[in-house]
Order: sequence, then structure tokens, then C-alpha cells
Amino acid sequence: MHLQRSLAAVTLAAFLTAGIQAPAAAAAIATRDAVAPSATAGGERADQLARVRAALDRDDVRAALVARGVDPGAAAGRVAALSDQQLADLATQLDELPAGGSALAVVGIVFLVLLILEVTGVIDIFKKI
Amino acid sequence: MLGAAGVAASPDDLAGQVYIPARRGSLQVELVAATRRAGQVPWLLDGSLAALTAELAAGHPVLVLQDVGRFGIRRWHYAVVIGADPGEDTLLLRSGRERRLPVAADRFVAGWQPGGNWALVVLAPGTLPAMVDRDRVVATLTEAEGLLPAGALAATWQAAAARWPADGELAFAAANAARAAGDLAAAEAGYRAMLAQDPGNLLALNNLADLLLDTGCTAEARALAARAAAAAAGRDVPGSWRSAVADTAARAEACDPPVGDR
Repeated sequence: MHLQRSLAAVTLAAFLTAGIQAPAAAAAIATRDAVAPSATAGGERADQLARVRAALDRDDVRAALVARGVDPGAAAGRVAALSDQQLADLATQLDELPAGGSALAVVGIVFLVLLILEVTGVIDIFKKI
Repeated sequence: MLGAAGVAASPDDLAGQVYIPARRGSLQVELVAATRRAGQVPWLLDGSLAALTAELAAGHPVLVLQDVGRFGIRRWHYAVVIGADPGEDTLLLRSGRERRLPVAADRFVAGWQPGGNWALVVLAPGTLPAMVDRDRVVATLTEAEGLLPAGALAATWQAAAARWPADGELAFAAANAARAAGDLAAAEAGYRAMLAQDPGNLLALNNLADLLLDTGCTAEARALAARAAAAAAGRDVPGSWRSAVADTAARAEACDPPVGDR
């Protein structure tokens, strides 16, 4: 496991330093460098380390989700939708974070889906106040 | 609404995006991620009751996490706050099978605090929460970069720049986001408006020069690049700015001016 992780890190670092991530408009100043300077305080190297870290977290979290019963195909899409900060949270405390729902698994799923649909404005069956 | 936006969202899809069988529930971060996958913008509120009721007053339902356990055993449960009656100090929740569950505000807060007063509103791109501070907008939108469509980000940065018109950083972010979304005219107008306010603005000088160099090696683009380089020379600026300005200057020097424009 450790060996795999180290290998993955080395491979990733190689890809990253090869310029795979070079943004299309390198000569433009990015928003995050202008309005959120703390995020890049460490400069380019810290940025790349953060990318490697996030990629490792992504693998860890995907494996952890699958181990907890999530369909492997869905798990990849789920981790891809997380921000680096969210990945870091899940990588370290997946089992400690609150998981809200219902005591009845099936009811819980349907209920959560309804909540999300409502909040995202797909349906508005609850809004008839 | 999602269907109209070209996003396929069926109940099965959504369940597959958020449910963790072994935990018999869903994590907050995955709910946030699922809303972004649906092309909507998730906003965490600051955790005050005032912020929550402000959203309700604006017609935004609020998703909350509550501890409904007893005897010291935590049991987490999501609910949607759909209304408030300030006179009677009561909130109206959609919770479990209850469509309209009135809950006294102090009881609500007691169940809300264990989860850190977590409260989420989900809004269409281009809409901001009723009560949100500028730093939260910046944090939310920078975090969502790459996770929301460029057009959605651009519309929302634009809304932020409109709400805080004196904030140059938001104007810059809005112009950058417009460019990323392919709306070059809006981006150019945004940078120009910044320069009208502050002709020495390094961010606007550099990014406008870079934008114009994409379409042609005009005298104006080269002049802007030179002004950006001059503005950066005498100041202590972040390394990322300095290297971007140097790249722009190099581009401007290397490009071929159109005939008759030397």
C-alpha cells in the first residue's frame, strides 16, 4: 500500500512537472492568485505538492467509498466532484463526519433525493406554504 | 429546471451520488458536491439564525443538518427549513415525512448546534444568497473553480461584482471568469472598466494585454504589456503576478505586429 502510494506520487509528480497542468493562458493572472493570495502563499512548488496530495486523497477516498458499499463506477464520479479541501476532509475523517439520513436505509435514500431535488429547484412539491 | 438546463437528474442518479450504504446516510460534502454536479451553486451560510431567516425571507429554502438523537446518542438528519414565523419564534421544517413541521426556534437551535450550525442554500448561477459577506463569496467561487461550468461561475462572479461595485478584486474575478467562459467581449469590457478607475492597475493591464494578444499583435496590446511590466517593476508583487507579467511582455515582444502598425 505504501509502496503503491509512493509510486503513484512519483508518477504524478513526473506528470505534473512535465507541464501537463500548464493552464491555457499562462500569461494571465489567475483569480485565485489575485483575490485569495493565501491559497498560493507557498508558491508553485506548494501548489504542485497540493495537487499530488489531492490526487492521492482522491484515490484513498474512492477506495474508502467503495469499501463502504458505494458502486465503484459511481465512486469515481463522486470524488471527481469534490474540491481539494473536501477531499482532504474525507480522506482523514470519512467515518467521523456526520452522515445524515434516516434510520431506514431505503426511505433515507428517497427522502434525501427529494430534499436535494427540492433544494436544487427541480420540483417544488414542498414549497406550497 | 435542471432538465431545462440540459442536466439529467433522476432520483436514482442523485441517490447514487450521495448515499453511503455502510453509513446509512449522506455526508455534507457530498450533498454540496451533488448540487454542483447539477450545475447549481451551493452556499454555506455563516451559521447564524439571522442568516438563515434572511434566506427564507428571500424565498430560498435552507438545508440544515440536525441531531435528532436522544440520551446523548447522535442521530443525524437533514431537514429543509421552508418558513419562519418571527412573531411566534417558530420555524417551519420539511423533515422526514412531515411536510410542514413547526418547530420552536430554541428547540431548532438545540438540534442545529451539534452539527456546527450547518446550513446550505442552493441557488441558480448568477444569484447570491440574501445575506453573505464578500469573503464567503470569494471562498465559495474559488473553491468551485473547475467544478462548476465556466458559464455558471462567470454569471455568479458577475453578480458578486454587481453587489460590491467598489470592489476591484471582484471586478477582476468577474472579467477573468467571463474570459474563461468564452465571453471575450465581457472580459475585455471588465478589464477596461477597471483601467478607467485605476489606469495603473497591474492585474487589468496584464490580463487585458494577454487577452488582446490572443486576437492580434496590436500596438495597444503591446503598449498595455509594457505598462504592466513598468507597473510591476517598481513594486513588491506576488511571484505569480511577476511571472505572468514577464510572460505577457515576452509574448508582446515576440509577436508580429500587423503591417502598418509598427
